[in-house]
Amino acid sequence: MNKLLKIEWLKVKNYTAFKLLSIFFCVGVVLINYAVYAINKNILANSTGGKLLASFNPYNFSNTWQSTSYTTGFLLVLPAMLLIILITNEYTFKTNRQNIIDGWSRNEFIMVKIIIAIIFAIISTLLVVLTATGFGLLSGSDFSLNQFSHVGFFFLKALTYNMFAVLIAVLIKKTGFAIGLYFIYLGTENFLSQMLDIASIKLKNYNGTDLGSMGDYLPMNAADGLLTFPDNPLKSLTRNILPTDYFWVVISLAIAYFILFVVWSRKKYLNADL
Amino acid sequence: MAILTVENISKNYGKIQALKAVSFSVPKGCVYGILGPNGSGKTTLLGIIMNVLKATSGTYKLFDEVATDAHRKKIGTLLETPNFYHYLSAVRNLKISAAIKEHGEEDIENVLNTVDLYKRKDSPFSTFSLGMKQRLAIGAALLGNPDVLVFDEPTNGLDPVGIAEIRILIKELSAKGKTIIMASHLLDEVEKVCTHVAILKQGSLLASGTVKDVFQESDIVQLAAADKEKLRCILAELNNFLRLDEVGGNLELSYESGTANLEEINRYCFDKGIVLSHLQIKKSNFESKFLELTN
Repeated sequence: MNKLLKIEWLKVKNYTAFKLLSIFFCVGVVLINYAVYAINKNILANSTGGKLLASFNPYNFSNTWQSTSYTTGFLLVLPAMLLIILITNEYTFKTNRQNIIDGWSRNEFIMVKIIIAIIFAIISTLLVVLTATGFGLLSGSDFSLNQFSHVGFFFLKALTYNMFAVLIAVLIKKTGFAIGLYFIYLGTENFLSQMLDIASIKLKNYNGTDLGSMGDYLPMNAADGLLTFPDNPLKSLTRNILPTDYFWVVISLAIAYFILFVVWSRKKYLNADL
Repeated sequence: MAILTVENISKNYGKIQALKAVSFSVPKGCVYGILGPNGSGKTTLLGIIMNVLKATSGTYKLFDEVATDAHRKKIGTLLETPNFYHYLSAVRNLKISAAIKEHGEEDIENVLNTVDLYKRKDSPFSTFSLGMKQRLAIGAALLGNPDVLVFDEPTNGLDPVGIAEIRILIKELSAKGKTIIMASHLLDEVEKVCTHVAILKQGSLLASGTVKDVFQESDIVQLAAADKEKLRCILAELNNFLRLDEVGGNLELSYESGTANLEEINRYCFDKGIVLSHLQIKKSNFESKFLELTN
């Protein structure tokens, strides 16, 4: 695998889109969290809305793990887009064919892409850890690993987003269409998720059947639903602070969807004409 | 030892049958031409052998064994069009090919010199002309000095000088004992460099064997008379010719090379009451033989 990754590195290290999107993502993670940090520090903390709100700092330890994970989650489309570009480029320029002709097996080709998707997720997560630690220390609170589980939820979300990008790229093959479809799917699934959540509430009110937040059972929302912004004290008074109603169901589904994306991408690549 | 053995390979694209149970064998050390008009299935066949396409049915062997990726690493291949990373230089692209083939990078300079791209080694692939791209692809195929080379339309996009250089290169490689499998729709190319040939048309194998056997020379006798139908009837009664065709208003009798006798044919027709207005003998050339096979 090390050899395969070295070859992948040869392919991307001089690719401008790779450098730009990577830099954009890294800087973006810090900036988006700084924006939320600054808004909370300068606006909410000085608000006249009440002492409860003013005492709430989402970047204090241990809130920082949850806040940074949740906020950075919005930027996960960037590594996903990069993955789509890298894979669809191989189809566009037929370099995937050349790799196979030169002696790679189809399995080696698709597995190294899957490994890259996992590496992107790991790097994104490390970035979250660093950023969360930085803002936590900046907030002046004592270091704590409480609620570090949210970093794990972020990792799962990153894995799902990246693996879904690999699948879309392998299925669609054209960069523009693949990126377009990726975003259309995200939007459509969000809409469906809202509809399912409303249906869940109606069902519960109608005959007491509790199926949880059914919207979170959809692929991207399963990974997404685990991540929430820390509830401020006012909000906590009014709702349950658990990220989802059925934590283990949702986390199991998120893992199952990830495996499905891996198996589907691999099967498609192994059997299709290139 | 057979370098490649193809057994009943078929390939369907939906309802279109691109290959129909094609079988042939490529002996070691030959230059094997896969010849056929555009759309005859040449690239599809090579694509299946190089694992970028899946055969609908049939099997193939490389080096007398069930084909694996390890076998493919021993083959230098140029398939259809040059496929490289457009933003990378020639040398970086070759480094990727060399790494996949598990060869060192020491070959790269030599290969760039062979295909006359050394001066442009650091230029991005996207800035290359079609001919330069083709030469780089040939260079990539030569990496690691493989014993078997597969070239699909190797002279595509090259100028006449480039075409001549590639043909010389193929002959030189052949002289060194390399086995070369080459797909082409150019008769001239196959005639000049190949020792063996397989002819494809609309996915079917029409003939295969040595160039000498497949393109065996023949005598073609052209005849014309006022009553063409009567002439056709009496010629059909002859029994020592290979084929009787009508070409451009004349009738043509094909004979094995050196066996046609104009005097005898003229006398035979006269005896049957036909006065010939045209009687001529010509030798079939490579092109006419190919057209004869494919039409």
